[in-house]
Amino acid sequence: VSAGAPRSAAARAALSLVVLAPVLAFACAVGLAAGGTRLPLAAALRGEEPAATVLFHLRLPRVLLAGVVGAALSVSGATLQALLRNPLADPFVFGLSGGAALGTAVASVLGGAALGEVATLFGLLPGQLAACLGALVAAAGVFALGRAHGQLVPERALLVGVVFNSFASAAVIGLQAVLAPERTQAILLWLSGTLGYEPPSVLLAAGLTVLVSSAGLTALAGRFNLLALGDDAAASLGVDVARTRAVAFALASVAVGAAVALTGLVGFAGLVVPHAVRLISGPDHRVVLPASALGGAAFLVLADAASRLLFRGLGTEPPVGAITALVGAPVFVLLLRSRR
Amino acid sequence: VRAGPAVAALWIAGALAAARAAPLHLGPPAPARAQRIVSLAPSLSELVLALGAGERLVGVTRFDDDPRTAKLPRVGGYNDPEPETVLELRPDLVLAQPAPSNRGPVEALARLGVPIDVLPLSRVRDVEEALVAVAHRLGDEARGRALADGIERHRVEVRARVAALPKVRALLVFGLEPLVVAGPTSFAGELLDDAGGAALIDDRARPFVRLSAEAAVAARPELILLCGVQARPGREALPGLPGVPVRELRSSALLHPGPRLAEALDDLVAALHPDGAR
Repeated sequence: VSAGAPRSAAARAALSLVVLAPVLAFACAVGLAAGGTRLPLAAALRGEEPAATVLFHLRLPRVLLAGVVGAALSVSGATLQALLRNPLADPFVFGLSGGAALGTAVASVLGGAALGEVATLFGLLPGQLAACLGALVAAAGVFALGRAHGQLVPERALLVGVVFNSFASAAVIGLQAVLAPERTQAILLWLSGTLGYEPPSVLLAAGLTVLVSSAGLTALAGRFNLLALGDDAAASLGVDVARTRAVAFALASVAVGAAVALTGLVGFAGLVVPHAVRLISGPDHRVVLPASALGGAAFLVLADAASRLLFRGLGTEPPVGAITALVGAPVFVLLLRSRR
Repeated sequence: VRAGPAVAALWIAGALAAARAAPLHLGPPAPARAQRIVSLAPSLSELVLALGAGERLVGVTRFDDDPRTAKLPRVGGYNDPEPETVLELRPDLVLAQPAPSNRGPVEALARLGVPIDVLPLSRVRDVEEALVAVAHRLGDEARGRALADGIERHRVEVRARVAALPKVRALLVFGLEPLVVAGPTSFAGELLDDAGGAALIDDRARPFVRLSAEAAVAARPELILLCGVQARPGREALPGLPGVPVRELRSSALLHPGPRLAEALDDLVAALHPDGAR
């Protein structure tokens, strides 16, 4: 990536922390200060209403949610790029986005009655739970179809995922014709990636889920480095390739599932952030993964602040997924070109 | 009644996009007394029914939920009417509400020789004018004028009744995902004003307004009125407003900009002033 002298992983880790921690702190400050309404911060801190409510009950939980989801998507994106040895891999490529969309659309058509009680247990909507189930089923299906001779073929899995996503979006468009229009609107909003306002219990559960799965993936990161040499080479160096892949996919799916359940499909965070982070962290996955968590959190918090600021004055805001795609697509192209 | 939210959402989807428009006639001239009417919006079907001409309706949308329309053929939705089905019914008048998404099919029908009245229903006055216009097409304009006058008389009465009461800072919520509230230039916002509600929304450019959660908190409502929508189980209706009482309307009258506006106004008064103004 960089032409400079190779640095040790420890030096890269220190550099990543020194650069990314302040970026995340800055993002959080912007996220708390910026919004659809003018917020006198001093008044909010003195407890004056409605400023205090806006700051503590709306913006703070939203910044935390954006951070958790951004970290989850980026860490799983970096993981999938390592496992598939393909820079185009992102959390949604395994048919996850299509599966999630299809799951929620099917649940809406069927009324989601059966899922309702289970979903309420987790503080989710039936559609959200159905999305997670759909995403997991799709990922398992793509994983299975992407294999040949008992081994995962990354290109094959990627292609199956892309094709399945197109198929699923066609199916969703078909299902929308029979859906009540107010459900259609909610689904569209959610599919485009929207940060809402979750209660502290849900935030805590999501945060812990993402923390545990990210820590698990980081623990496996040394093996991801060996996987980059190819399956056979990794195996000859003592890596149980199939098992490492299975555990890593499962952990990444859990993180993505939590993110998708809360915010729908926020695109590009998982694709762009790991690439950008590698400019600082270098290629060592033991550094890339935690650095992606910091970078992803900062990216989504900033994107969310931008979505609130963009339509400031109109009292409304575009879904954050629109911002991440608008920013992410050109940045991705730039990163690709600069890598030659 | 369960179709109410769907109808409201439909209507809002159109109204959010459509600026205030004047009534419009497309296609060949309408007959003096229309006999075969297709309605492309539930509110317009209700107008025909209220004018006592239900037997002249030959087609309605799939969202029409009035039992008197239960047996009529469906001609698609408000946003996606089916020109073929409409043509098969050989209507001598089609009633449509203006919306960007139904413009193509409606204009196609007009080109194919179907007389079409396009009637906006954004404001109370639009509804009253539509009552008179449809009554005129039915050959009984006086009946429409009487209904419209009835709504106006009721508004005056209610305004006098609530004049002495303190204004209630109520948010009329028509959609939760995304949050959509009635603005002052919607029929619902106008009736809220009549019923003694304070004006919390400044946006006069659109009848229904998409609001961020922050803007809703900043509006400092004292009452949240859910109009055909329901909060998620186990969640507050609006985040950041835990102490604010949430009420639902007692009927679906406010969900349709139609002949039941007087009833809708009574519903609002009951919700805003549960203890007084009877």
